[in-house]
Amino acid sequence: MTITPLMNDGLDGMPAKRVLRYMEEHKSSGKPIVGIYCGYAPIELIQAMDLAPAVLCAFSDGPIASAETTLPANLCPLIKSSYGFILEGTCPFFNMAEAVIAETTCDGKKKMFELAAEVKPLHVMDLPQLPDEAEALPNWTAMIRKLQRFLETTFQRTVTDEAIESAIQQTNRRNSMMRKIYDYAAMHPPVISWEEMYDVGFLALPATFDKVEPVLTDVLKKLEKRVAEGVHFGNEKSPRVLVSGCPVGGDALKIFKIIEKCGGLVVAPDSCTGMKAFEGRIEENSDDPVRALAQQYLKVPCSCMTPNDGRFAALSNMIERFKPDVVIDFVLTACHSYNVESFRVGRHVNEQHNLPYLKIETDYSNNDEGQIRTKIEALFEMID
Amino acid sequence: MSRQFAGIDIGSRTIELVVVNEAGEICQSLQADTGFDPMQEAQHLLSTISYDSIMATGYGRNLFEISFDATTVTEIKAHARGAQESFPNVRTVLDIGGQDSKVIALSDTGKVQKFEMNDRCAAGTGKFMEIMARTLGYTIEEFGPEALRAEKDITISSMCTVFAESEVTTLIAKGENCREIALGLHSSVTRRVSGMLNRVSPIGDIVFTGGVANNPCMTSLLAKHLGRQIHIPDTPQRIGAFGAALLARDNA
Repeated sequence: MTITPLMNDGLDGMPAKRVLRYMEEHKSSGKPIVGIYCGYAPIELIQAMDLAPAVLCAFSDGPIASAETTLPANLCPLIKSSYGFILEGTCPFFNMAEAVIAETTCDGKKKMFELAAEVKPLHVMDLPQLPDEAEALPNWTAMIRKLQRFLETTFQRTVTDEAIESAIQQTNRRNSMMRKIYDYAAMHPPVISWEEMYDVGFLALPATFDKVEPVLTDVLKKLEKRVAEGVHFGNEKSPRVLVSGCPVGGDALKIFKIIEKCGGLVVAPDSCTGMKAFEGRIEENSDDPVRALAQQYLKVPCSCMTPNDGRFAALSNMIERFKPDVVIDFVLTACHSYNVESFRVGRHVNEQHNLPYLKIETDYSNNDEGQIRTKIEALFEMID
Repeated sequence: MSRQFAGIDIGSRTIELVVVNEAGEICQSLQADTGFDPMQEAQHLLSTISYDSIMATGYGRNLFEISFDATTVTEIKAHARGAQESFPNVRTVLDIGGQDSKVIALSDTGKVQKFEMNDRCAAGTGKFMEIMARTLGYTIEEFGPEALRAEKDITISSMCTVFAESEVTTLIAKGENCREIALGLHSSVTRRVSGMLNRVSPIGDIVFTGGVANNPCMTSLLAKHLGRQIHIPDTPQRIGAFGAALLARDNA
C-alpha cells in the first residue's frame, strides 16, 4: 500500500528545501533573516520584529573535516558541523542571515561562537543553568530584553510588548495544533511517520502562524482521512520507540532509519528537533510578555540545566501518552551533559516505567551502523 | 528420528556451527575461520551437516538471512540462551569475542533484562589481546599462561589498541619484563570489563563466554578483582551458536 505524502508539495522528505523556500520568500519581500542554533532562542521576539528565524545547518557529516582544521576532533559533531558549514560557506541559511543568536548552553558551543563571531554579527545570550533558582527568571528576562535591544539596533526598528504578546498567542495556537498532529503518533499503530513529524516540525518552528496554519490544518485533515481509511504505519506488533536525548536531524537521522530497518516505529521523537519544541504553553496576557517568554524557555528540559528534573517529568508524560515499548537515549559523541544524564534517564525508564532502555552514543558517520543495529535488535528482543 | 536444530554464529574471527537434538543436547559442533567470504565458509560448513531448521547470529547474521533460509537472533539473546542452558542458576553473562565485548543481566526466567555492548572501538576485545600478544612475541595460546607467571604487573594506561601498542613498545625498549607487561595488559582489560559488569549486573556468579574465556589469566584476574565466581562453559566460543540452535528448537 502506498501512502499519500502528508505535505504533498513535492518536497516531502526534504524539509530543509521547503524552509529555504520560505526564507527566500521572506527575504525577497525585503525582510531580514536572523540565524538561530538552539531551542532557547526566543522565536516569538524575533517574529514580533518581523524578522524570520532560520535554524542554521548543524547536522551534516560533510563539513566536519573542514571544521577540524580549527576545532579539536574530540568535540561534539553538532558543534563541528555548525562551524564547518560557516567555514565552507555552504549553509544557505547562514549566508542569508544578517545576524546570529547564540546561547551559552555548553562549553563547546560557547567557544565555537567566538570563532563564528568573526564571520557574522553574533549575539550571545547568557543562559542561566540552575533553572530552579530565584535569580534564573529575572536574569533570563533581562537577557531576552538585551537581545531585543541588539535586534532593534542591528535592524533599526522597535518592537512593542503588544507585538510580542501577539507572537506568544500565535505560538500557543501553533503548539496546540502540533500536539493534535502528534495525537496521530499516539495511535496504535501510528497514523503518522517520524519522517512526516520531522517534516512538519521543521516548517512549523520558524514559520509565522498565519503562514503555517493552513498547512497544519491540511495535515490534520489528511491524517483524519487516513484514520477513516485505515491507513497506518507498521502493525500492532511493531515495537514502538521513544527516542530522547540530543537533537536528531540530517545525518543524525540515521538513528531513526536504523530503528525502522530493525522493524521499529519512532512514535515519540523527543529532543529539540522533535516534540520538545512544541510542548510548552506560554502565559498569555501577563503584565510582562518577555517575562512570560523567559518563564517558558527556562522550562525547556535540556541537559545543560541542573538539576534537569523537568526532563524526567516530560519523559513520564510522553511515555504515558505515546505508550512506547522501549526508550532509546540518543547521545552525540562528546556531548558530556546528555551522556552523563543518560544514567538517570535509564534508571527512570527502568524503575518508574519498567521499560527496556538503551543508550546509543554516536556521531554523524555511518561506520557504526552494524553495532547500532545489533543493539537495537537486542533491545526489541527484550519486549515481552 | 529426532529432529535436529542448527545454530550458526558468524563472528568477526570465526564461524561456529552447533547442532542440537530435541532434548537440546549437542550432536555436532564445527568451526571455521570467517575469512574474507563468510557466506562461502558458511555454505561449506552447512554442506557437512543436516538439520530441520537453522537460526543465525553474529555480525554476519543479516547477510546469512538473505543468502540462506534462516531466522536470525542477536548475539545478545543467543549468548544469554546458551549461557543459561549451560549454567541455569547464573544471572550474569560476560562475552568477549573477536571484536566486541558485552555484559548481559538475566532475569530468573533467563530473559535478557539489561545489556551493554562496546561501541565501534574494539578496545579490550579478543582482537586487542591478539595484537598485544603478537607485540610481545607470544602466540594467543601462550599469552595468558605467560602473564600468570609474572611476579608483578606493570600498569598499562591505554585501552586503545593503537595507543597500547606504542605504550608496550616503549616498555619493551625500557627493558621491562615481557611477562609483567603481559600481566599489565590483562589487568587493564580486567578493569575495563569490571566496570561494565558492575554497571549492568553487579552481584552473583558470572558465565564467561567467547574466545577470550579460554585465557586462564583473564579468568583468574576477573575472579580476584570482582570477588565473584566465574564459570567457563566447555568451548566458550561456541555458546552463541549453541544458544541460537536452542532458540531454533524453542521456536519449533
